[in-house]
Amino acid sequence: MATTQIEIFSEAPAAPPARPRVLLMGTALATAAATMVILALVALYSQMRADVIAGGKTWLPEKADLQLIPGNMGLATLVMSLVTVAWIAYSLRNDDRVHSLLAFGLSLLLGAAYINMVVFGWQQLGLGINDSPQALMIYTITGLHVAMTGVGLAFLGVMAFRALGGQLTGRAAEGMNAAVLYWYMTVGAYAVVWYAITITK
Amino acid sequence: MTVTEAPRAADDEVVAAPSPPPAPTGLAAWVGSGDPRTIGRLFVGTSLVFLLVSGVAGALVGFEQFPSDSKTIMGADTVVRVTTLHATAGLFLGVLPLLIGLAIAVVPLQVGASTVAFPRASAAAYWTWLVSGGIVLLSYAVDGGPYGSDRTAVGMYVLGLIAVLVALVIATVSVVTTVLALRAPGMGLRRAPLFTWSMLVGGTVWILTLPVLAAMLLLTYVDLNYGQQFLGGSGGIWNHVAWAFWQPTVYVFAVPALGVIADVVPVFARRRHQRHSGAMVLLGLAAALGFGAWVQLGATVDGKTPAPWLHGGVWITVGYISVVPVLGLLGLWTATLFKGRPRLGTPLVLSLFAGLLVLAGVAGGIATVVGALDLVNTTWMTAQAEVVLIGALLAGLAGVTFWAPKLYGRLVPDWLMRLAGTLIFIGAAATAVGFGVAGFLDQARFTNGGISAVASGDVSAVEGLDLVAALGLTVVVVGALLAAVALLARGTRDPGDDPWDGHTLEWTTSSPPPIGNFASVPAITSEAPLYDSRYAPRDDATDAEGSA
Repeated sequence: MATTQIEIFSEAPAAPPARPRVLLMGTALATAAATMVILALVALYSQMRADVIAGGKTWLPEKADLQLIPGNMGLATLVMSLVTVAWIAYSLRNDDRVHSLLAFGLSLLLGAAYINMVVFGWQQLGLGINDSPQALMIYTITGLHVAMTGVGLAFLGVMAFRALGGQLTGRAAEGMNAAVLYWYMTVGAYAVVWYAITITK
Repeated sequence: MTVTEAPRAADDEVVAAPSPPPAPTGLAAWVGSGDPRTIGRLFVGTSLVFLLVSGVAGALVGFEQFPSDSKTIMGADTVVRVTTLHATAGLFLGVLPLLIGLAIAVVPLQVGASTVAFPRASAAAYWTWLVSGGIVLLSYAVDGGPYGSDRTAVGMYVLGLIAVLVALVIATVSVVTTVLALRAPGMGLRRAPLFTWSMLVGGTVWILTLPVLAAMLLLTYVDLNYGQQFLGGSGGIWNHVAWAFWQPTVYVFAVPALGVIADVVPVFARRRHQRHSGAMVLLGLAAALGFGAWVQLGATVDGKTPAPWLHGGVWITVGYISVVPVLGLLGLWTATLFKGRPRLGTPLVLSLFAGLLVLAGVAGGIATVVGALDLVNTTWMTAQAEVVLIGALLAGLAGVTFWAPKLYGRLVPDWLMRLAGTLIFIGAAATAVGFGVAGFLDQARFTNGGISAVASGDVSAVEGLDLVAALGLTVVVVGALLAAVALLARGTRDPGDDPWDGHTLEWTTSSPPPIGNFASVPAITSEAPLYDSRYAPRDDATDAEGSA
């Protein structure tokens, strides 16, 4: 019996070499594509705003109430999440399940808080989506970023559960690194949106 | 008796390796496949079908201009819609997926990978693209598409095209990741085959460009459904899509076509590619110059359509220097052919035709940016886009013919594909002359008024030129049909592993490749490992004689 087992193992093909950073590379490219969508819309928004201001008018309609607080709190929330997602990746690299779960829960909470903040900002804005081009652009850009954030949370969730289920842990925690990369770009994209919409008004 | 005391035969059964499940056959083998070769073949086959639709639509538009005072086949408003169908199907359902399909099948073989980076994502991308492409075509049938009057159907077009773009980006991400992460040991990026390299640089720019187009489409969709305030409703959609067909954006879609030519030429010259690194730089430059997401009309809240980039310094500069990488590559290919011992195989013939067309298109861009000629928004730009994209189609067919042993396990009938390529080249030339000269006579793009912008004295001449262009597009359609027949024809020859005496890694494996592509991958020591093993000793001897 032992002899047979040795023969089986000796005839088995060699294990394929580890696929280096495939998921990370693919995620980086997909993240770049997603970021271009947001940046394209922000660029158009900024161009339209500059045209209007150059014509001697104010950009936002009079009844618009674009408050700083929801935007600032949204950014602060996402900046805090940068720490918690890095904490997930760090914990998984060290096979620390308790801290991974804790950091993952906090990240989910911060992501949900950000989405809540954006929705609150929409309610305070005082404009309907079909009231003016400005409102349509604001709702489209921020709505798209909320969708991007939702994808990021789902990505983090899938990778966290795969890791906690025993895959992609330790030094091969590539999946979570990929999700973290996507999250960082999501936060970076929000910083641009925040500056273009909330700060410049 | 207990289970542990089972007879000897039972022990043997336990030891025996389980037999693999039977491979799916028929439709299940196609639908459920994550095999890059299968996905690539699906992309190539269905893109040819969409190209036929595009070609017929383009020919109909051309014929409809003759005579210009009566629309015999379609109404005037339908002509405009069919023009957008021709362009949309030609690029996003035709040329682009043809090249991506070729890359999905060939790039893993060229880099020594067992499969493409994300095989299931690639398969999902194909099926998404196919269904969304069908939705785009269907939207035209129910009064949708740009300039359509049914808002729901117009929305179908926009969402369908967004899904098409998402699918193409996913497939491109898969290919580019394969190049970046799955190369064989020893294959640094500088040793990557030129088609692979062109997919890396061109694909990266696609990944940065197509999402911008998707963003504009998303905005038009929201605008369409919430007030149609500032993007012009269904007619305005095309204003925000058309930049993808203008220079410099249209050039980047031809970059992998240049990569195909760059891999075909040295094999048929039986000579190493002259200045491989230089060719890489030129391909990279072509891709970088083709990043044209900034060339958009933009939008203003007062409904005017600004075009700040028109005749701007950057746009003019890019128009001039875009010809440099293409000219440089043609120079390198000419040198390779002169220094080698060329044989005129069908892939080389198709490649040369393709190279000339792409050069003509890019050189035509110089005239476009000369303000005094006033060719912007005329059919000169239509001709330019047609020539570049038909050139890319021809290069794609050259690639399919060249790599047919790996894709299909057989050779494509030589004479049939050569005839198809010749017809496509002649048709493209006639189309370019027709629409191009008509543009010089002030014929506006068909979405901007067409022949109505022409001075009365030139109308009959422009009608004749449009007829020439329409006949040209008809010949292109016939050529594409013959190419499809050639791909469907059963080859009689066993191609062997390496029927062309290839230079790169894909020719070391069987035709078609086994699952996993390679039994073992040799260490890569140059950009043309097979060439080295076959010709390098002789080249060394020749060089030594020359020195003596």
